[in-house]
Amino acid sequence: MMKKSLFGIVALASFMALFLTPAFAGDAYLVGFSVAVTGRGSGIYAPVKDAFDIYFKQVNARGGINGHPVKLIIKDNAAEPSKAAAHAKKFVTQDKVILFMNAALSSTYAPMVQVAKRYNVPLFFAGAVCPDAVYPPKADPNLYCSTAFGAKYDSRFAIPFIKNQAKGPLKLGLAAMNIPVSRGEIDFAEELAKGMGIEVAGKVAIPPPTPDYTPFATKLKSAGANWVYAWAPWGCEVKTFEALRKLGWKGKYLAYAHIQAEDDLARLKDDDFYVFGTNAFFADDTEMHKKIRAISVKEKTIYPYTQLTEGWIAAMVLEEILKKTPWPPTPEKVRTAMNQIKVDLEGLKGGPLVWTKGNHFRTVNYYRVYKWDSKKNGIVIVKDWSPLKVE
Amino acid sequence: MAFASGYFKTTYKSDLAIVETFSLWICLIILTLGLIFFPFFASAFLMDLANQVFLALIGAIALMLLTGYAGQFSLGHAGLIAAGAFTTAILFKELNAPIWVTLPTSGLTGAILGITFGLPSLRLKGLYLALSTLALHFIVIYIGAEYETQRGFATGVVIDSPSIGPFLIEDPRLWYFSLLIIDILVVIFSINLVRSRTGRAWMAIRDRDVAAEALGIKVASYKLSAFVLTSALTSIAGCLFAYYRGFVSVEAFSLHMTIEYLAMIIIGGLGSILGAIFGTIFVVLLPYIIDALVDILHVPTRLTTYMFAIKYSAFGLIMIIFLVFEPSGLVGIWHRIRDYFILWPFKHKPLGER
Amino acid sequence: MQIVVNVIVLAALYCLICCGYVLIYRASRVLNLAHGELMTIGGYFLFTVAIGLGNDPVQSFLLAFIFSLALGFIVYFFLMRFMAGESALASVLVTVALGILLRGLITLIWTSQYRHPLQHLGMENSSHQIVEGAVISTFGIAMVISTVLLYLVLFLCFKFTRWGLRMRAVGENPILASQRGISLHMYYALSWGIAAFSVGLAGMIQACDSGLDPDMFVIGLKAFPVVLVGGLDSLGGVIPAAFIVALAEILTIHYISPQASEVAPFVVLISMLLIRPWGLFGTKEELERV
Repeated sequence: MMKKSLFGIVALASFMALFLTPAFAGDAYLVGFSVAVTGRGSGIYAPVKDAFDIYFKQVNARGGINGHPVKLIIKDNAAEPSKAAAHAKKFVTQDKVILFMNAALSSTYAPMVQVAKRYNVPLFFAGAVCPDAVYPPKADPNLYCSTAFGAKYDSRFAIPFIKNQAKGPLKLGLAAMNIPVSRGEIDFAEELAKGMGIEVAGKVAIPPPTPDYTPFATKLKSAGANWVYAWAPWGCEVKTFEALRKLGWKGKYLAYAHIQAEDDLARLKDDDFYVFGTNAFFADDTEMHKKIRAISVKEKTIYPYTQLTEGWIAAMVLEEILKKTPWPPTPEKVRTAMNQIKVDLEGLKGGPLVWTKGNHFRTVNYYRVYKWDSKKNGIVIVKDWSPLKVE
Repeated sequence: MAFASGYFKTTYKSDLAIVETFSLWICLIILTLGLIFFPFFASAFLMDLANQVFLALIGAIALMLLTGYAGQFSLGHAGLIAAGAFTTAILFKELNAPIWVTLPTSGLTGAILGITFGLPSLRLKGLYLALSTLALHFIVIYIGAEYETQRGFATGVVIDSPSIGPFLIEDPRLWYFSLLIIDILVVIFSINLVRSRTGRAWMAIRDRDVAAEALGIKVASYKLSAFVLTSALTSIAGCLFAYYRGFVSVEAFSLHMTIEYLAMIIIGGLGSILGAIFGTIFVVLLPYIIDALVDILHVPTRLTTYMFAIKYSAFGLIMIIFLVFEPSGLVGIWHRIRDYFILWPFKHKPLGER
Repeated sequence: MQIVVNVIVLAALYCLICCGYVLIYRASRVLNLAHGELMTIGGYFLFTVAIGLGNDPVQSFLLAFIFSLALGFIVYFFLMRFMAGESALASVLVTVALGILLRGLITLIWTSQYRHPLQHLGMENSSHQIVEGAVISTFGIAMVISTVLLYLVLFLCFKFTRWGLRMRAVGENPILASQRGISLHMYYALSWGIAAFSVGLAGMIQACDSGLDPDMFVIGLKAFPVVLVGGLDSLGGVIPAAFIVALAEILTIHYISPQASEVAPFVVLISMLLIRPWGLFGTKEELERV
């Protein structure tokens, strides 16, 4: 019986641990980061955390920013809204961060946005789809986003690109995942295509737990599509493509280039699989890419270096923000810095990332299209950086 | 007499009393005072946890009534919460309805869903029933997703804080007290309900439905009533959930949520309202407790990715340990500890079934 | 014509997954909700072994089979054995907790990246034209063949071998069976082993066909309606049920709307529950009418 009572005492003791909070040194830039390292969709969010780890290790080794180290408080929300909400409250009220960040499924956004608004602390989205509130002309004063992809803009580049590429009659198939974000974008693409006089030959929204993509591919194929455009999580995009190829479909496919795109282009080695995105691939091999690769290998990151670009860009943006924030930092000063930030991304994007007072997404989005070229046995650029003004 | 160490009831009046002894009254008053003064000491983070517990408690008690007392299984709990939340979201967005419209309407939606998905319970039992309620979950989520997509709320429907009269319930403390009052009402209501004719009928059905029928209990209507009540209560919890979070998104209502609620009532101890309370506190706080314990360890940054995965597993592991070693749940532990002190220095079993 | 092939492949996948549900339920009246995780782990076993052995499909698959089988035994002996005699709901919840534990372990060991075991096996997933206008991939064929083989072997064993007879006896009346000297634990463990093996096999083929990530476990839950339509305790019922559900799903994709395919299996399930609540071939005694 005593043993069983002990069980209860242990439970009580661990309950008490909740009330103990570790004290932080007061001389650091405190940034909270709630990220889905486990749970649904963690495959694209966990690498962001990985990149942040190695990036700020470097920064702190150099002596920090403005003479002060950066302290990241990273929490795993497992893509659950309740955890994200609790983290946001803890960051703001207990840890007194000057800025907090999110990289998780869109269901975690609203509770964190609520905290950002109530306590007037900026919230920075990195690696997850940007909420509408960061778009111009009236961006929310507390929400910022550096994620590569952006609903309502990507299709504006993609559909004209397909139209230019297509030789002969164009019949466009559209593929989405059955989640609101993805379906909304594909509906938008359908409108765009119809407005440009493109024949839409089939549209499928694929439910997330799908064991077999073949039936959906069959539908696209039998509708007679010769180009397919997909804007969805990477797994859905690439599995739809593979299913189409297995059916003997000979058309061309354009998908948004998520972080896994570069590895998968090399795996599939298919000449008609186009991916477009706003981040440069490691195939470019710029100085920056070499640096990321070297550090990633040295620090033994958990995710491969090809997937770190997104997180690296967000980290560069964060460093720049903190640089522009004079000591002692306050959320107010951070916001001022963020409203006039211009980050030179050294080849990771087509141009600098610029935020203004009314635009917390970026002023110009540069898109690039890559594909595999079997003659050269490597990844080639199909269309180089093409600017799309974000207004 | 400090605490009743057994069944010592000699009058009908004492049998009807909820609180058995004077000392228990004192304990309850101290607990209530503690709960009232808690917000004045707690940080916003702890307040959020407390509110999470309060919100989950409504759903957990509802599920306890259905599963713990009436013996009917349901895997549609997250679906019901989603139904309440979406009713609120749709009414708010389309008609700009205030809380005194959305709250009862959510309850009504829940009740209607309860009838629909209670009907299979007249023919099905156990796991079959549980799985047929799973269909409810998927259908509600499907409708919710369609609404979100068709109306263009890609990242969820945003809902403003509710206001009752001149009071805008936005401050965590205001939420705390509102939820505390609702929870106390729900707890008192359900404690009394399970002592009443309905509750006794449910328990009879749970223990042996054929015998219950033979005793003259209308099994069909009592089963349905359990479903309707649970669903209505759960949907109301869903409505409050939507207001508290300030948004509704289908992704928030996964099967994982249903499982968490089941875990609350089973870890707490089936067939006990107190168990539902213990279970809710435990399941809601466990991830944060693990978090806090790990924070004390100070893991090197690079290893935190692994640490997060370990935390995730730890939740499963602790649940397993509880289920395997403590089948009667937290309330079983509580009873043992309590009896140990009440009966000390003796080691008798308490007199009478309590 | 392609639609028919699609239905067959999807039905085969459902059969392979549901076999384990039925075996475990028949033996111990427990619904294993960690089935999807066992499936995912099967895929990861293959991935790890393929990396270790490199370009050796036969040995890789064999080793992964053994790992999956062993995992089933381990789960039984170290966990489910303690739940014998507990309430069904508690046992089911234990499997749920096991699922969470396994998911955490998967993320811990293999991270959340997309993995492609096929790359390391040195195999191609090419497509084959079987009849005019119908194509099937190599692993689609593998799925169908392994399903047919597995069910054939299981049926023959249950009908004609001694342990098959004992296994049925354990499922029908455990107390009587144990009094006749049949080791209950051994046969419960065996059913867990076969279940983990069959679902692991499904996971391996699925991983080769379309890649691997921790979110794969959801497929295990998606196969649920099939078991219920077929009858929880009927292995034979799984096959027609899998066909009905796969057909409903694929016809919905083609003729109604692709996104509605998510609810199609549940519509089939509800209509089944209204007509024959015990499923196509389930035992009627399982359900008492009220």
